[in-house]
Amino acid sequence: MAKLMSKVAVYPGCSLEGSSSAFQTSLKGVFDTLSAPWETLQDWSCCGASSAHALDHKLHQALTVRNLALAGQQGYTDLLAPCAACFHRLASAQRDVEKDSEVAKAADIPYDGQVRVRNIVDFIANDIGMAAIAARVKRRLNIKVACYYGCLNTRLPRTAQSDDREYPMAMDRIVKQLGASTVDWSYKTECCGASLFATSGGVSGKLVGKILKDAAACGADCVVVACPMCHNNLDTKQEEIRAQAGIDRPLPVLFLSQIMGLAFGLPESVLKLNDSFTPVGALASHG
Amino acid sequence: MMLKENPSLCYQCAKCSTGCPVSKEMDLMPHQIIHLLSLGQRDRVLRSRTLWMCAGCYACAVRCPNDIDITTVMDELRSEAVEKGIPCPHPEVLEFHRNFLKDMSRRGKVHELRMMGEYNMRMRRPFHDAAVGAKMFIKGRLHLLPPSAVGGFSRWMKKLWRS
Repeated sequence: MAKLMSKVAVYPGCSLEGSSSAFQTSLKGVFDTLSAPWETLQDWSCCGASSAHALDHKLHQALTVRNLALAGQQGYTDLLAPCAACFHRLASAQRDVEKDSEVAKAADIPYDGQVRVRNIVDFIANDIGMAAIAARVKRRLNIKVACYYGCLNTRLPRTAQSDDREYPMAMDRIVKQLGASTVDWSYKTECCGASLFATSGGVSGKLVGKILKDAAACGADCVVVACPMCHNNLDTKQEEIRAQAGIDRPLPVLFLSQIMGLAFGLPESVLKLNDSFTPVGALASHG
Repeated sequence: MMLKENPSLCYQCAKCSTGCPVSKEMDLMPHQIIHLLSLGQRDRVLRSRTLWMCAGCYACAVRCPNDIDITTVMDELRSEAVEKGIPCPHPEVLEFHRNFLKDMSRRGKVHELRMMGEYNMRMRRPFHDAAVGAKMFIKGRLHLLPPSAVGGFSRWMKKLWRS
């Protein structure tokens, strides 16, 4: 019953309005196809990303609670953050509000502490559901997929969550509805280095190399992600990283919403597969 | 400064360090950081490279059998080191975060092109990752114009800092 009462706002975050707009347009296309409502939170601001968290806890709390309070004021019960980092920041602030009501005052905007922060994989798997996804598939994808969850989608300390932290399967279940098979592999929740990719590329490059190498060794045709940072790190310097790690073939990197949109028959103007550095073209004509 | 987490709960199983993806790059591994904290060697910990190599992936935090949120400990120690003016062993990381926050506070959202450009200038390596940036720009993924400013954001920030 609770679900009938829920009203969901989308929190896009800076990446989805910028360098990862492919995630936003493809996700909106998928939501439209599935008749899921898409309303953007008005006046949203940056969650502070890893930088506020890393240097200034008070700033992190103020920036996150500001957006939670806006969602409450605008009459939303749920705040859906497709970016894994935004999700983690907002959800950890909400957890802190629930533990200590003083945190709700961090942004100096009235907040009743009642908004639920939602993860995109969980939302698609459990709120939209497998039956609705399967019903919309126009073209079954005959490919092998490595579902890469990364860190921030599944690792929120001290909260109940719907999927396994060490070996999550929600994204695998979604991808299987599209006709694709998924590989069992060891690196699905290993970190890609996050912002170290920008500051200490060598360190991050080694981590990305291990992830891609395992995906390739397990026979994956592509890697599917649900995080703009994971997509950026696995895709943009892949050629160089593959050479260093000794991986002999390219591994296209797709957002979960892009692979769903491929199976739903959505056009390139929505999917933006050409935004990726590693060509996705051959894969798109598969199946 | 008081930590929100209690390092004395640690029994040194080292599960945090075993699963840490960047422990090889650290001078002190996560379980050693926690151990030194319970011994009161705060100063040594605050000077460690570890604080700046932590990728913030929370593998340690969700695996700790004693439920110590080690990733948050790293955040708190990093903030404390900056506040105390302790020289940062990885200035490229500190400058990245500072620059990000500076850009974000202008209009409430990050302007990626300017943020990365300014960061590279600050680090005196203007052509760092230029090929990636150029390719992104050609693909229309980086915008010359900043995102529209969030209404009342800078006023809100100023008011917040005054209180």
